[in-house]
Amino acid sequence: MNNSEEALPEPIWNVAELLERVDQDQELLRDLLNIFKEDFPRTIRSLESAVAMEDLKNCARLSHTLKGMLGSLGATRAASAAARLDLLACSAETASLKQALDALKREAADLLPELDAYMAEVRR
Amino acid sequence: MKILVADDEALSRRLLEKTLARAGYEVISVENGKQALEELCKLEGPRLALLDWIMPELDGPEVCRAIRTRSERSYVYLVLLTSKGSKEETVLGLESGADDYLTKPFNAEELRARLRVGERILLLEDRLVEAAENMRFRATHDQLTSLLNRGAVLDLLTRELHRSRREQKTTVILLGDIDHFKRVNDTFGHVVGDEVLVETANRLLSAVRSYDFVGRYGGEEFLVVLNSCDPAFARTRAEEIRKSISGREIQTAKGPLTLTMSFGVLLSSEWALKTIEELLHETDIALYDAKAAGRNCLRIAKPATKPEPTSESVPHIARIKG
Repeated sequence: MNNSEEALPEPIWNVAELLERVDQDQELLRDLLNIFKEDFPRTIRSLESAVAMEDLKNCARLSHTLKGMLGSLGATRAASAAARLDLLACSAETASLKQALDALKREAADLLPELDAYMAEVRR
Repeated sequence: MKILVADDEALSRRLLEKTLARAGYEVISVENGKQALEELCKLEGPRLALLDWIMPELDGPEVCRAIRTRSERSYVYLVLLTSKGSKEETVLGLESGADDYLTKPFNAEELRARLRVGERILLLEDRLVEAAENMRFRATHDQLTSLLNRGAVLDLLTRELHRSRREQKTTVILLGDIDHFKRVNDTFGHVVGDEVLVETANRLLSAVRSYDFVGRYGGEEFLVVLNSCDPAFARTRAEEIRKSISGREIQTAKGPLTLTMSFGVLLSSEWALKTIEELLHETDIALYDAKAAGRNCLRIAKPATKPEPTSESVPHIARIKG
């Protein structure tokens, strides 16, 4: 089961799909990336402490926020990982939270360099 | 057109703001449900709203429910936007009063198309409201002159009489009739007759204050109600109104005409406990007195006998005969 989840077909960051959604507006894309760079680390830190304290309510709220944020950005895989965490928190599966959070952090670790690379490229 | 965006997550909010601004909307964006409700309850507030489901303070469905409880205001088209997607949740969202439902991440084209549906609904509502207002206007106004019709002006007069009694003020009733109006119709035709009626209505309206009433009482009869009028000035005011007709010619398709009006006048404070029908009857008698006295004049209706014989406030002007 774990294997099939790790072999998700979606790209880490679907920039083509995002550009289509924003009508090829590069300036807006840059705006979104800047908001993400600011909001994502803060939200994930809050989520980490909510998971550590087994605070299910905040865990659900924060993972839901991340799901929306990542989904809007076109970070499909990380959004799925956040959705899974949201689901676990809502169904009070406290035991699996930590593992799901780690999975989300792994996806984020893959995603962030891609975003940085893109930003570096468009800046040139 | 104004649109409200309520989303606590900055990235999605920014994406929505830009997408909607590009589609030509005037975007008002807020971060929680409470602010959303405040914006939507403002006078001239947005009538289209995109609400995130999960928000601090009030969530999307709670905002929908709150909006739907106020029935007296114009319709707001509500779209819930969320990453939730199950059937149960869709039903829950729509039952809270939302009109539509979109799943994040949204597709810009689909979003715009769905908002156009909302605009169509709002346009339909505007037309219905307008139709209802037109009907209400037609039910209470005279078609030719746009003055209040008989029923409407009598309703207002009744209310005003109650108020003036309560507040011990004077309501002055003027019943006016265009002199020899039949001759105008017979000589120049009904089109000119109508022109005279419309111009008379306009002059009577211009001669009173914004809080007085003017209504078309019958064919060429008009009822003017002066609210909270100082009794000492009633005659002067009534004379001014009379002169607004006789003072200058009325321009018609058949050339200028000089017309006059006769008036019966009544001061409510002199007739304390009479019914509105009795007061109008007395005013009518005064109008006939004015007609009998040679027209283009006014007569004030006075009680024939004093209500309390011992009182000092004996009306010193005896009733003027026709």
